[in-house]
Amino acid sequence: MTGRFVELASTTAYKKGIPNLRINYTPHPITDRPADICRKFLEGSDPHSGKPLVEQIVSALTNPLSPEDKKTGFMMRDPRPRLLPPDTEDNLQQLFMDSNFTDGGPVILPTEKRVVEMLKATSHDPEEVVGTMRPSPPHEAWEYNVEMVAVNAVMAGAKPEYFPVILALASTGTSSLFSSTSSFARMVVVNGPVAREIGMNPGIGALGPFNQANTTIGRAWTYISKNLGGSGDPGETYLGSQGNALNYGNLCFPENEEQLPKGWKPFHVQKGFKESDSVVSLFNGWSYANIAWYSHLTYQEIMTNWLSHFFSYGTRQATFMIDPVTAEYLYDQGFDSKEKLADYMATNSTTPAWLFWNPRLVELAEQGVEPYASYLKLGDGAEIPQSRYIRRPPRKTGSKEPQTGSGRPFFPETLDAQNSLEIVVVGGGTNTYWAGGDFSYMSSASVDQWR
Amino acid sequence: MKKLIGWFGLAVLLLAVQISLPSSAQDAKITVMNPRGIQPPIRLIPMPERGSIEGKTVYVVDIKYANTRPFIDELHKILQERYPQTNWVLKQKTGMYMDDDPDLWEEIKEKAAGMVIAIGH
Repeated sequence: MTGRFVELASTTAYKKGIPNLRINYTPHPITDRPADICRKFLEGSDPHSGKPLVEQIVSALTNPLSPEDKKTGFMMRDPRPRLLPPDTEDNLQQLFMDSNFTDGGPVILPTEKRVVEMLKATSHDPEEVVGTMRPSPPHEAWEYNVEMVAVNAVMAGAKPEYFPVILALASTGTSSLFSSTSSFARMVVVNGPVAREIGMNPGIGALGPFNQANTTIGRAWTYISKNLGGSGDPGETYLGSQGNALNYGNLCFPENEEQLPKGWKPFHVQKGFKESDSVVSLFNGWSYANIAWYSHLTYQEIMTNWLSHFFSYGTRQATFMIDPVTAEYLYDQGFDSKEKLADYMATNSTTPAWLFWNPRLVELAEQGVEPYASYLKLGDGAEIPQSRYIRRPPRKTGSKEPQTGSGRPFFPETLDAQNSLEIVVVGGGTNTYWAGGDFSYMSSASVDQWR
Repeated sequence: MKKLIGWFGLAVLLLAVQISLPSSAQDAKITVMNPRGIQPPIRLIPMPERGSIEGKTVYVVDIKYANTRPFIDELHKILQERYPQTNWVLKQKTGMYMDDDPDLWEEIKEKAAGMVIAIGH
């Protein structure tokens, strides 16, 4: 491991049941370091122990085990009290901050009375297990019940009528604070009657801090992720180098279903739910930009050009949040469904050479494999006539490489725009704006089953 | 004058009440619920026995984290230079750095006395 991850490596080894795993550290980072620097690192000392690194690696392989190393069985965790020791409000607020229970701001303290009020908004038993959650796949999963979700909903300032939406979010087992060095963000889109019932804002400023339901449902997801999903402890269960401001509210908003153009299905209907169902849908990404651009080009051409140059790091997926007036314009241009628009953009977008090439594709091009060999001749500044917004092909069981219809491991020819570009309509129609981001659809969950 | 002193006295009294009320409310203790979920018990995994690696095979595994190959190559070279009695086998894991490679783990269990695996960044 590199020396930046001492805490992460030791706590992970502990939680995996190998508390004395022999871990050696090099100076950080080793990525993009030439061979001579790497050799210097290896001929030097472990920055954590101060001992010569290579000798330490070999000792780790040869030194006899201690009785501790041979232990089997289970290590039990500290018991979890249902109530915290009584204290003044000021001291409890400080305790919540110091214990990393919050997003850095004060919370509504979860008294039993407030939690009981929250629990009245669901028919489910307070002790019913809602799910498990972890910061990322290698981490341990924590378990939580309905009452524990209610505690966090109270802390976020949610009204009881929002609780089924929050339970639906918790039931996905998805943390809003995914642990990666790349500072992920997550997004929640609410569809169906519940959005209107609880007063969510799909109109002017829907993505901003202007509505209690939008704000506190999103914030509750962060608290759930930290306190019920074991996420969000910087250095241990959160590694985002710069962090992401979107994590405060998780871009929680309802789709503006009332202003969808004719033929455009609500997002949850696109995912197989009935229009009368109430549903939360989760997205994973990093960022988005809010854009309007006036030129001789049509909006669909501008959006496609933007898409060509959007980073969408690694995922080759993107999500558009389109204002109702822009959606009407696009409808008038002939796009009578979201799918048709997504297909147009995916088919017509290209890929700048600097984003297209990776070592594997260069290898194929140099072997003369088409179309890569021809693409390589276009040069470094070229627009490669292939879209990145294609469905990632499913990996067959036991397969070591991604499978595609064409047999090529990357960039298959077959496009499936429906699965690579998502479209949600939101906004108040004050201008012909659209927002786009590198968000990819993750999953949806029923709100109705938590009423 | 008496009337003025009376008003002043009342004002002082009200001020005192105003100061003392919030203070006592702030000092009152309340009980709140624990927001944390349930952590699972940890199953201990005993480490395999170990000893001399002379004359044995040890795998050096490259997980293929972006642009770390020079480091792995140097590690492999230094181990070969300094510990020539050991057979150091350099092996690339399949797929991306996040992908599991159960076949390789089985191979190492079968053929090697140990493994050195370098994890980015």
